[in-house]
Amino acid sequence: MNSIDRGSAPPVTDLGSSMDVVARDGNTMTLSMGPQHPSTHGVLQVVVEVSGEVVESAEMEIGYLHTGIEKSAENLFWTQAQTVIERMDYLNPLGNAMCYVLAAEKLLGITDRIPERAKDIRILLCELSRVASHCVWLGTNGIDLGAISTFFYSFDIREDILDLIEDSGGARMHPNYLRIGGTNGDLPDGFLAKLDALIEKFPKRMRELRTLLQNNPILRDRMIDIGVIPPAQALEWNLTGPALRASGIAYDVRKAFPYGGYEKYTFDVPVRSEGDAYARFLVRLDEMDETMRIVAQVRKELDRPGPVMVDDPKIAQPPKETIALSMEALIHHFKIVSESFRVPPGDVYQAIESPRGELGYYLVSNGNNRPYRVRTRPPSLYNLQALKAMAPGNLIADIVVMIGSLDPVFGEVDR
Amino acid sequence: MPSSQTPSIAGTALDPTALRPAIDDAEIIRVAPEALLATLSALRAGGCTMLLDLGAVDYLGRDPRFDVVYHLLALPARTASVAEVGTPRRVRVLCGVGGEEPELATATGLWPSADWAEREVYDLFGIRFAGHPKLTRIQMPADWVGHPLRKDYPLRGPAREATPRPPFPLKSNVPAGAPPSGKVAAALQKQIARARGQEPEKA
Repeated sequence: MNSIDRGSAPPVTDLGSSMDVVARDGNTMTLSMGPQHPSTHGVLQVVVEVSGEVVESAEMEIGYLHTGIEKSAENLFWTQAQTVIERMDYLNPLGNAMCYVLAAEKLLGITDRIPERAKDIRILLCELSRVASHCVWLGTNGIDLGAISTFFYSFDIREDILDLIEDSGGARMHPNYLRIGGTNGDLPDGFLAKLDALIEKFPKRMRELRTLLQNNPILRDRMIDIGVIPPAQALEWNLTGPALRASGIAYDVRKAFPYGGYEKYTFDVPVRSEGDAYARFLVRLDEMDETMRIVAQVRKELDRPGPVMVDDPKIAQPPKETIALSMEALIHHFKIVSESFRVPPGDVYQAIESPRGELGYYLVSNGNNRPYRVRTRPPSLYNLQALKAMAPGNLIADIVVMIGSLDPVFGEVDR
Repeated sequence: MPSSQTPSIAGTALDPTALRPAIDDAEIIRVAPEALLATLSALRAGGCTMLLDLGAVDYLGRDPRFDVVYHLLALPARTASVAEVGTPRRVRVLCGVGGEEPELATATGLWPSADWAEREVYDLFGIRFAGHPKLTRIQMPADWVGHPLRKDYPLRGPAREATPRPPFPLKSNVPAGAPPSGKVAAALQKQIARARGQEPEKA
């Protein structure tokens, strides 16, 4: 071991490839953290000004993952735009699809005609996605704090959920299964049995995770009183979702503006008042339990068969087996696939509760077969922005904890 | 709020917001750029604690060309339960802005969260916000030329326009953003009239 002379200030020359010294000025030093830094959960560059180990200010650079999804969506048909929209928040593609589909249905004026079963399936998949998304957050947040093994436990739950999503839509991550007007076909045989197995297994898995993490003294020390956001500041900085609810404001879009059939289900909204990283951690854990409560309720509804698509041949694709037999079905199928449908002019704002907060779409239609404007209200963007207010005064190592506790997804921040 | 309460502006045919069906998603206020800051301040003082989102729409061919859209939400500013939150008030403020160099007043003084949102609108639409602390590009690289979400900005960027896409033969495949015309426009008028409960006009 080389001995380090602690008497004089050590020369800061090499801090590793991802922590580069940008400038030094008197007592403060400017460091660039990221964009390729494992704890930034994607491609985020944080330029921090530090005095010793204490952060004086933090500025963020985003846009490294900008792919022009909003521009692409404007140039695609209403039906096609959903495929790019699902790729914004890649941990919750079904939530993105849900929000877009609900907004488009409002413009089409078919909200009241969506079959019950389609609504139930949508809610089921959205809630399962929420658990899957929180599993990724829990696993990666654990890794950030040095708890590597939790990653495998939480990804075990996530794999079961992705299997279910794959069964329903054919793809693990971006199934494009929700459609304007309903869902793309009914759930396959064997789906409900797998779902039952998951519902039964989940509480045990959750207990294991809580035992590993919740009262772990190292994790508690790292998270308690770190990144505190008082309620007034949370509103000012536009926090939503678990981050806002950990600051004591019980705003959940599912309760405040029920959408897509949520009013049918009973669930609680976990709220805490501390506003620190640990509160956000507990709110998300509690939310996973509440979410599975909704899933269990939806499971009961799914025993009843029924249609899963709105009864409107101009919007719903005809069943595959009718295409060979009916000329009308063939024509409708051809028209919907080749030129989509027209949506009456108007604008609408639709919000849903995504795992990260209020996800909103402001859609404008000018009466054409393509959306005129697709504006997203990305919860991650605004949640992440609050890091500017949270970071000063904390240790540089705690920035990692704060980013983890805000759970940003960069596909959504940069779009 | 129904569309009848939205003040009409020049070029209504190009303004879908004036034709919107009765969707109860927010209270809609349309303001002129001069009155924007006063309106936002009044709403902020009146309980709209959150600026949920700020975005823009390019209505190319309309005057004023752009709409900047503010989505506000009124949440109680102190610790509150689900029952206390209830159904908070949603307000949507639309502000038309045009000209060679469109510019509006910044909302960062009222809500700090407007910072990144205004930078994004500037980056992608070229609308400036007077008084913004650091109005630079946020999504596109700093040396980028042009504003990609403008309707006259080519989909694949200016450099690649030299190799246009092969023409798609369907008649209905009008360019994105073009207002409907001919039979489609007539059918649309009927649809709108029906949605409003009126008899369609006989041609």
